[in-house]
Amino acid sequence: MNKFSVDLTNCDKEPIHIPGKIQSHGFLIAINKIDFTITYISENTSDYVSTPAKNLLNQPISVLSNHFSHEPDFNIENLLKLGVIRKSFDAISPYPIAINEKPFYLIINTSVNDWLLEFEPVSLQYDIQSLVGRSASAMLQGKSVSALLKGAATEVKKLIGYDRIMIYKFLDDGHGEVVAEEREDHLEPFFGLHYPATDIPKQARELYKLSLTRLIADVNTDDSPIITFNETTALDLTNGSLRAVSPIHIQYLKNMGVYSSFSISLIANGELWGLIACHNYSSKFIDYKAREGAKLIGEILSSALEYRQEEENSETVELFNNTANVLSEHLNRDKYLIEALTNYDKTLLNVTHGTGVAIVFENELKTIGEVPDDESIWDLVAWLKDNSDESIYYTHRLSEIFHPAKKYKDIASGILACSLSKDPVEIMIWFKPEQISTVNWAGNPDKPVTAFVDGLASLSPRKSFETWSEVVNNTSEKWMPEEITSVLRIREIIVAHINKKANEIRLLNEKLQSAYEELDTFSYTISHDLRTPLTSIKTYAELMLKNKTLDDKGKNMLDRIINSANKMNFLIKEILNLARVGRSEIVFETVNMQSLLAEVSAEVWSAFKADNAELILGQLVDLKGDKTMIAQVFTNLISNAVKYSSMVKSPKIEVSAVIDGGETIYAIKDNGMGIDNRYYDRVFELFKRMENVKDIEGTGVGLAIVKRIVERHNGRVWFESKLHVGSTFYVAFKNK
Amino acid sequence: MTPDIFYVEDDTDYAFFMQNAVQEVKETLNLSIVEDGKEALEKLQAFADTKTKPKLILLDLNLPGLSGLDLLKFIRDIPYLKSVPVILFSTSDHPDDVKASIEFGANAYLTKPDGYDNLLKCVHSVHDFWFNQHLRLN
Repeated sequence: MNKFSVDLTNCDKEPIHIPGKIQSHGFLIAINKIDFTITYISENTSDYVSTPAKNLLNQPISVLSNHFSHEPDFNIENLLKLGVIRKSFDAISPYPIAINEKPFYLIINTSVNDWLLEFEPVSLQYDIQSLVGRSASAMLQGKSVSALLKGAATEVKKLIGYDRIMIYKFLDDGHGEVVAEEREDHLEPFFGLHYPATDIPKQARELYKLSLTRLIADVNTDDSPIITFNETTALDLTNGSLRAVSPIHIQYLKNMGVYSSFSISLIANGELWGLIACHNYSSKFIDYKAREGAKLIGEILSSALEYRQEEENSETVELFNNTANVLSEHLNRDKYLIEALTNYDKTLLNVTHGTGVAIVFENELKTIGEVPDDESIWDLVAWLKDNSDESIYYTHRLSEIFHPAKKYKDIASGILACSLSKDPVEIMIWFKPEQISTVNWAGNPDKPVTAFVDGLASLSPRKSFETWSEVVNNTSEKWMPEEITSVLRIREIIVAHINKKANEIRLLNEKLQSAYEELDTFSYTISHDLRTPLTSIKTYAELMLKNKTLDDKGKNMLDRIINSANKMNFLIKEILNLARVGRSEIVFETVNMQSLLAEVSAEVWSAFKADNAELILGQLVDLKGDKTMIAQVFTNLISNAVKYSSMVKSPKIEVSAVIDGGETIYAIKDNGMGIDNRYYDRVFELFKRMENVKDIEGTGVGLAIVKRIVERHNGRVWFESKLHVGSTFYVAFKNK
Repeated sequence: MTPDIFYVEDDTDYAFFMQNAVQEVKETLNLSIVEDGKEALEKLQAFADTKTKPKLILLDLNLPGLSGLDLLKFIRDIPYLKSVPVILFSTSDHPDDVKASIEFGANAYLTKPDGYDNLLKCVHSVHDFWFNQHLRLN
């Protein structure tokens, strides 16, 4: 028989399905499935039949008929065989019989090798069916999950009339919480209390899944032992409703002052969602039919819960999907990713239930809602980079893992981070604020055993039921699976978008490449195919000028042809120079600026016949760079200085250098006509010439060449100018 | 008749200018012009065969088919013409072209002058050097 000695350390392993005893409000007879003999019998059967129970052991089932003989039609053997043929006793149980003229129900269930025949008294005088139907529809009025639960508690209380009905929900870590309650007014409320996971051990939960109701009729009566000749195998009472209760559990109930207890399992998606736990503070048996009614209520509640929960979840999912679609549209329409995700009604913030979000993209940080300060976010991003290899990281207790987060735990105790790119770090982080919640424990979960007293009481799980509260710090609301799915979806959309953009850029780059090659060919064409005919035009014009018969008008026209051809030739040369800057290799050398400027200025002065212009050379510093190109820069800048100051009385051009940090800066200053500041940005653009220089010859290429050369040297070029006062152009070269 | 100057030039306009300029420098100077490398080869071979030796050969660098450098090489390989002064004449002023020409045995490299007046000046100097001074030096 059951020799298991139970205490708190092993109550997890107590074989509660084979207690070897039954509750004594009914009696039990087990019949062997094969030979239909009596194999087990509860001792208290003696109270109901005219012979000691043990005398019935090993007797054929037919002997029972003798003991309930005043029912002429009653034949247990036939009843069993009918159930076997139907493969179910559902339609047979409860079978009403009378024992000693008192009404009883016979309830038949199956065990491993035997049929369990349980007899229990009938206490209900009316038909409960219609009440159950009304209860079910009243309960289903509740639209939200919480209203549903409250309704269930109310209706179950009406059905069984117990003092207290609690709906008990199992949370992730196995501990339970009272989420709805209906009780007699004088009772202390248990609503909101939490019970540690150990209060309902694992194997008890398994039994709750198999057997959906459980009645403990009276904690103070003695159980009735089951007797048998089978010494080796205990009778499995998993399906029996009379199954005796673990002494530990009895003590638990006694400590709470509970005399009778009844529970109904709530199963959602195949898992034990919770229990409807019913307590009565005096002993109170519940009639089989009322129990079955309550069970039905439990089953209806279970499926309603499953449905409502799914409905609430799918509403959330739909909301998130909607956000994802809207953001996806913005991404397709907008030029900039961050703006698309943050600038409209629906933003990244709506991707989760978080209260703030930060996105780091292209080394820029953008936030929406309640977020830590920028510096803290950058620190967090760095920490995430080093500590998470996954694309998704989430926690609802950040400050316990990442200590610097303590200082902003009020805004961000929970984070859900999603990486877009590891290097460079591009990441999105959602934040949830700290929830300082008070959990009321029905007894301190960390100290299950109170002082040792003699006997069973010392083994009780907890004698003290006063509320023990715990403040939960540093913790946010948990991240739901739906939120994580939503974030992964957004990630996919963004990554696809980035890839698409990258592809577009690559294609654009290829086009640019081929356009550049075409430009090279074009330059070559200009050089050889355009210049040759141009030379011919000019030369024919010159030849014709030699014709003595030509009048002055004719000569004048030929001069103009020659002049135009010269201009065009010069323009072509300039364009070729510009193209050459882009293509040719830079040969770095130290350039002697003293001699370079002497050569350049001599050339410029003779080209522009600028004898009246004064050149002032200040401090000259040698440069590092490509000599030919640097000569080109100074030729162009000094030419401009001379050209655009030729109209003033005494033109003065000053060239000097200063060393500033890692750069040598040359200034080329003139006292000429100046540049209108409105056109500052256009000065270096190709073919752009200012309005006030229309009368001065130029191609609009010179400064573009200067800019290109300087940029190829990683230098800088800019200018300061005032109309009618003069301009100063600066070029800065790296000293290296 | 042995030409004073043998000129290979595919640009008919430039050939026309050269003809004019040469005539203007010296009316009696005899200029023979061919338009491509193939024709030039035949003519050069004919010079060698008939033992006629031009006083100066001008080669345009960029010619369709055989280039001026190819012709120069050919000339230097014919013993009879080996000693004739050859001037490479081109629009290009690229140092690589100049270098290659001298290496192949050109006596001079001239960039084509821009415009008739400049060409005239150029032909004057060439004439003075190769037909007066130079000959006297020889």
